[in-house]
Amino acid sequence: MMEAQENIAAALGRWTGEEVAVAWRLDRKGVATGWCRLRDAANILPAARAMANLEGRLSMVTAYLPTAAPRTGIREIAYHFDLDGATLTIGIQLPAEGAQVPSITPVFRNADWNEREFMELYDIRVTGHPDPRRLFLDESIEPAAFERLIPYSTFSNGASGKALWERVMADNARKETP
Amino acid sequence: MSTKTITLGPSQLALEEPMYFRVQTEGEIVAGLDVMAGHVHRGMEHLVMKRNLYQNITLLERLCSLCSNSHPSTFCTAVEEIAAIRIPPRAEYLRTIADEIKRISSHLFNCAVIAHITGRGPLFKQAMEIREIMQDTKESIYGNRMDLAANCIGGVRCDLTPESAGYLAKQMELMKAPLDELFRVYTTDPAIRERSEGVGVLSRQDAAGYAVVGPVARASGIGYDVRKKSPYGAYDRLSFTTVVEQAGDVMARIMVRLREAREAVSIIDQCLADLPDGPVWADTLPEIPAGEAIAKSEAPRGELVYYLNTDGTDMPVRLKWRVPSYMNWDALKTMLHGEHVADIPLIVNSIDPCISCTDR
Repeated sequence: MMEAQENIAAALGRWTGEEVAVAWRLDRKGVATGWCRLRDAANILPAARAMANLEGRLSMVTAYLPTAAPRTGIREIAYHFDLDGATLTIGIQLPAEGAQVPSITPVFRNADWNEREFMELYDIRVTGHPDPRRLFLDESIEPAAFERLIPYSTFSNGASGKALWERVMADNARKETP
Repeated sequence: MSTKTITLGPSQLALEEPMYFRVQTEGEIVAGLDVMAGHVHRGMEHLVMKRNLYQNITLLERLCSLCSNSHPSTFCTAVEEIAAIRIPPRAEYLRTIADEIKRISSHLFNCAVIAHITGRGPLFKQAMEIREIMQDTKESIYGNRMDLAANCIGGVRCDLTPESAGYLAKQMELMKAPLDELFRVYTTDPAIRERSEGVGVLSRQDAAGYAVVGPVARASGIGYDVRKKSPYGAYDRLSFTTVVEQAGDVMARIMVRLREAREAVSIIDQCLADLPDGPVWADTLPEIPAGEAIAKSEAPRGELVYYLNTDGTDMPVRLKWRVPSYMNWDALKTMLHGEHVADIPLIVNSIDPCISCTDR
C-alpha cells in the first residue's frame, strides 16, 4: 500500500506540476483515506486526469464554506476519489467572491450532477460544463441557495405533490388559453 | 418512422415517488433520455447543518425508508472516525445485523416490484409474503417495520437479548428455503425470463464509465462491494461472497439481489454465532473535535459515502453524502437506448432507484 500511496502523490505531481503532499490515515480495519490540497484550484482538471489514469473513480464532490470563510474570504471544494477501496480527497480553495473552477465532467461523466448541484447551492461558476442546467432547484430560485436567506418552503421547491400538481395544472391552463 | 418526445412521470413507472423522464422515441423504440430530478427535494443537506450531530442521527434515518439504517450508521462512523471513538465489538456485529436485515427487505421489495411490472401478480405476492418475515423480524426486535433507530454515536441503541437472538435465528431459518425457491422461480419463469433477459443491458465498460455501484455494477461484471473493499462493522471477520453476474441485463440485476439476500441470511447467522459479549456502546464519549472524515458503507443499492467536516462545536460545518442511486440514474440512458417504450418501467425499476435519497 505504501508504494501505491507514493505513486498516487507522484502521479498528482506529474499531472499538475505541483508538489502534492498526501497525508494518509488508516482506520482500525486498515481502510485508507488520503488527504491533500492543490495550491492552484485550476489544477483540479489535470488532477482528475491523474486519478482517471490510475483507474480511480469519482465518488463525490463536496463544496462548502469553512467556519472561517467570512473572515478569510476563502471557500473550499473537496473532490473524493475511490482508488480500489481507498478514498483520496483532493481539496481546492477558491475565493468566496467570484469563484470559478474548471469542470471535470469531461474526465469523469458522473461529475456532471455533482457540479450542477454545487453550482445551484453555492456561488461557484463551473467552466466547461457540458450541460450546466439546474439539477434539483427550480429556475425561479436564485442561485447559491446555501448562501442566502430563502424561505425553507421555497428552497425545498414547496414540493408536496399538491403544490407540484397545481403548478402543472396552471401551466396547462395557460397553454390551452388561445 | 415518427420521432417524438414523450414525458413520463412524475407518478408513473410503478414508482411511488416522483421522477420526470423526457424520452425521445422513434416509433416504439427509445432513442434518447433526459432525467429531471428534484421533485422531492427537501433541502436535507441544509437541514443537517442546522442541527447538532446527535439530532442528525434521527433526521438522516428519515432520508429514505428502504436504506434507512445505512444513513445513520455511516454518519455515526464518520463522527466516530473524527473523535477516535472505538465502538465495542458487540456493537460492530449488531450494526452488521441491522444492515443485513434491511438489505434482505430492500432486495425482496425490488424483486417483487419487478414481478408486478411484468404482470406476474402471484409472484409479486409470493415475494412480498417472504419479505413479510423480515418485516415481522424488524418489528419484533426494533419495534418498527422500517426505521430501526438502531444506531447511536459510539455503538447501537438496541441490544439483542438471548431471547431475541434466538428469535432472529429462527426467522433466518424461515427465510432460507423460500429464498432458494424464489431464486429458482425468477430464473425459470418463462414470462420473467422473456421480459428480462437481454433487456436493459449495461456492459461492463459502460458500467465503469457511468461509475455505477452496488447490484447494478455487480450485475455488469464489476465485483465492487464496500463490505470487502473498505470493511467496516464486523464484515472483516465474516465469510461471504461478492455476488457478480456478467450479462448486465434486468435478469442479472434480479439474480444479484436474490443471491445477495441469501448471502445476507448467512451473514446474520454468522453474526449470531460469533456475537461477542460486552457493552453495545462506548461508555463515555469525548468532545467531538475539529476534523474531517470519510465513511463508506454498502447500502442495499450500493456504495454510500459520507463526508463530515467539524469545527469543535456539535454542529457540522458540512455534512455531505452521496447515495448509490445518484450515478445509477445516468446509466439508464444506455440501458434504455434501443429498447421498447413499453419496457421503460421495467428497466427503470431494475436499477432499484431511490428518489428520496437522490433528491434529498
